Amino acid sequence: QQTIKLTAAGGHPPVFLWVKLLDEFYIPEVDKRLAAAGGKHKVEWTKAWGGTLIKIGAESKGISDGVADFGFVGTLFEAAKFPMQNVSYVAPFGTDNLGAVGSIVADMQKKIPAMGDTWTKNGLVYLGGTALDTYHLWTNFPVKSIDDLKGKKISAPGPSANWVKNTGAVAVAGSLPTYYEDIKSGVSNGAITFSTGAWGAKLHEVAPYVTKVNFGSMYAGAVVMNKRRFDSLPPEVQQVFREVGLEYDKRFAEAQRSTADALLQKMAAAGATVSELPAAERQRWADTIPNVAQTWATDLQGKGAPGTEILKAYMEGLKKSGAQLPRDWSVK
Amino acid sequence: MNLSTPGTGGAASRVDAAPQDAYNLPLPFGLHRLTQALNALGTLMIIGLMLLINADIVGRTGFDAPVRGVTELVSLSIVGIVFLQLADTLRCGRFTRADMLLDGLKRDRPVLAARLQALYHLLGALLMAVILWAAWPSLTESIASREYVGALGDFTAPVWPVRLMMLVGLSVTALTFVLLAVIDLQRGQRLAAKREHKR
Amino acid sequence: MSATTVAVLSLVLMLLLIWGGLHVAVVLGLVSFVGVWIIRDDIGVAANLLAQASSDAIASHIFGVVPLFVLTGFLVARADIGKDAFEVANQLFRRLRGGLGVATVASNAVFAAITGISIASAAVFTRVAVPQMMRFGYQPKFAVGVVAGSSVLGMLIPPSLLMILYGFLANQSVGDLFTAGIVPGLLLASAFAIGIVLAAYFKPSMVYAGGEMPVPDGEDMSPLTMALKLVPIVLMIGGVLGGLYGGLFTATEAGAVGAALALLIAVLRRKLTARSFWEVLTETGHVTVAVSFLIICASIYTRMLAMSGMPQFLMELISHAGFGPFAFLLVYVFIIILLGTVIDSSSILLIVLPLMLPIAEQFGMNLIWFGVVTVVAVEIGLLTPPFGLSAYVVKSSLNDPRITLGDIFRGTGPFTLIMVAVLLLLMAFPALSLVLL
Ligand code: NA
Ligand code: NA
Repeated sequence: QQTIKLTAAGGHPPVFLWVKLLDEFYIPEVDKRLAAAGGKHKVEWTKAWGGTLIKIGAESKGISDGVADFGFVGTLFEAAKFPMQNVSYVAPFGTDNLGAVGSIVADMQKKIPAMGDTWTKNGLVYLGGTALDTYHLWTNFPVKSIDDLKGKKISAPGPSANWVKNTGAVAVAGSLPTYYEDIKSGVSNGAITFSTGAWGAKLHEVAPYVTKVNFGSMYAGAVVMNKRRFDSLPPEVQQVFREVGLEYDKRFAEAQRSTADALLQKMAAAGATVSELPAAERQRWADTIPNVAQTWATDLQGKGAPGTEILKAYMEGLKKSGAQLPRDWSVK
Repeated sequence: MNLSTPGTGGAASRVDAAPQDAYNLPLPFGLHRLTQALNALGTLMIIGLMLLINADIVGRTGFDAPVRGVTELVSLSIVGIVFLQLADTLRCGRFTRADMLLDGLKRDRPVLAARLQALYHLLGALLMAVILWAAWPSLTESIASREYVGALGDFTAPVWPVRLMMLVGLSVTALTFVLLAVIDLQRGQRLAAKREHKR
Repeated sequence: MSATTVAVLSLVLMLLLIWGGLHVAVVLGLVSFVGVWIIRDDIGVAANLLAQASSDAIASHIFGVVPLFVLTGFLVARADIGKDAFEVANQLFRRLRGGLGVATVASNAVFAAITGISIASAAVFTRVAVPQMMRFGYQPKFAVGVVAGSSVLGMLIPPSLLMILYGFLANQSVGDLFTAGIVPGLLLASAFAIGIVLAAYFKPSMVYAGGEMPVPDGEDMSPLTMALKLVPIVLMIGGVLGGLYGGLFTATEAGAVGAALALLIAVLRRKLTARSFWEVLTETGHVTVAVSFLIICASIYTRMLAMSGMPQFLMELISHAGFGPFAFLLVYVFIIILLGTVIDSSSILLIVLPLMLPIAEQFGMNLIWFGVVTVVAVEIGLLTPPFGLSAYVVKSSLNDPRITLGDIFRGTGPFTLIMVAVLLLLMAFPALSLVLL
């Protein structure tokens, strides 16, 4: 029997589903399948979640440097290294079907070499990807129309700041853990985020008006292994890692989606007012904000990457999935 | 019963008997001017942070016009500040350590104390060299990949200046550690010579 | 050599080198470097880990404002705002034994309401309170002990960085956690105050430099003088607290506002020249850097431990040991305090909670109360050697060679014991944490 020592790590703690599923599904499943295959190989795991070994935003470097061998890379937090994987954030008002976003991006990574190669170029092997459930709006005032946002401060950091531009609202910086206090103290009047995150931050307590804007599911990151380490593994072990990766994708999409729906209901049961933004208002909103996707594509083209092609492919994928798209960002 | 101010006895005897350590002395080749200059740059960045955050608060609450990117700039610049000021902090003897053993040695075996300090400073230089060795590529990578913080279309700032500050800070700190060790060894020699002379 | 053996050996080596007088940060960095090198048998990985921690361990918004909190404290000291406040306190409390110690604890409790991190409290009060206590005849070791000890209030009384982190990991309401911290925070502050008064009565040599309480001398200040002396501090605290709770700025931003206010007051009182302002700034930089570099190297050590798998192994051991609820809680708290001797506060939460929370839930424990117990236990680590961050912050802020690190740890000793006693109370009576909910 050959023992393979692997260190698994991630910047987020296991309360986040993408890490929880690594801990509770991916790793045990690999062990199980290796044992079932005759037990010729056995993995001895060291696990370090929650940034105890590698921090959010430095996960790809940590794994490619070999500080960890295997883990989750949040592309959302490494936009400069994975610009192409962040296409969903510049093309909001997509779909609430997170499985679709996951498979659209996975598909693009296969068909557009530049996009798939990002992983190998960073010294990583891609094993499976995940998307976050669709983004909505949590506020301490009712929102029936985009006009209600005038003069309000909304916690919307990073790429989501662009989603409130020109709406009359002011984007305020922050991060999931700070929203609660920021809204409670009045530094902001609401936040744009995803349901599973909002539940963790208990946003509905301070921002009880939940408006389902459906900014769309966002591609968030991937399970990866250090490339040198992966290449050194026996082919049958590599195969197991790839297979479990595909299964992880599926399980993640199912679990995250059902959890998101259930959590919105729980928030309503806890006294929050959950309402859907009317389609006409969603259309107005999408028409109001600037087309950052074009800036993004131009920037990528300037760096020699196929930004325009990726944007087109993503919008095509969304259309094929049957999503209601108020705006096609690939059109200038 | 501890009636006296702790350490006063030690301080008093240190004045006449025990030699001072290498801290707060000018460095060879006037290199303390370099550490001080880097330190001043870091200091200006601290004032910058104060002004930036206050401008954001005033802009946000008074004029619905927040300063974009403050969060990102704050988290980025603290790294720059720390590495820019690292060497001067060391030169002024502000790296925290337990002085029990060394204080005793300085009284009873001053030559040994000086040589031990030299060893410690060389170990510090070694640590800096290790980090420097591994951190070196981060600058070129950062420039090549045009690494930035923030988000396209909103606010972006390049990361490479901070990577550069880190490398410069580490190099100068490594150098400072080496020079402190040299001063320690010189002091050790002097003390040894004095001891010979007394005999 | 097994990874766990490396972890244990690293601990022994670390203690030895710190005692030997090698700079604490250098010890942590080098020991971890060698540890990772042995665990992975790859010197490149070891060096990469160090480089990565150097660039990302302190790269956060919350940490970025630390220099501003330090600057606030130094300006308050330079502008004599703190001195005036303490003169008034001394006047009011001079017949109470240990009065200035009690005043320091009380002002720390107030300051805790504007800061979410204990480093800030420790830095500010080292500059403001320690010189004043020494001026009025207090034992230096006692003065630094009070400051380091009561700095833990910074993360118990809301706002609190540790509570926010716990709330996230345990999926509990941060608001509820904040509320739950109020009574335990005040309880701890009172326990510190009572401890100080008792010590001043029964063991005055511990408190006073002369071995006895100095006989109050000098003329009494008139109420008007006292009021005038208090104006600046009231303006400062009122401005920051008001802005914070009025929704103008966040607890993170409070440091920048405090620094600006203190600067304004110092200039108006003509206590600051361009030159002395520059000195204060340089000093601020040196203290911030000394502490930050320690935190970077502590983070390196924590990563080495995480890589060794030892914390994980410990946690799994407990979760499979089959303890009853009470035994579990005792062992849990004991392990946290043990980890707290060498690991920084947030890392402990991140290491311990994922495996321990499900067990606490199984026992049907109230997770808000469990959070308060956890935070207090974690904070004990701020005071315990060899890696006691609050003591280190006091040491670098003070910059007085007469007061050694050992003196500071000895000075905080009684406060650590009081914390343990309060922790046991909180464990035995969950109502203390839950009464306001
Ligand atoms: Na606080
Ligand atoms: Na400690």
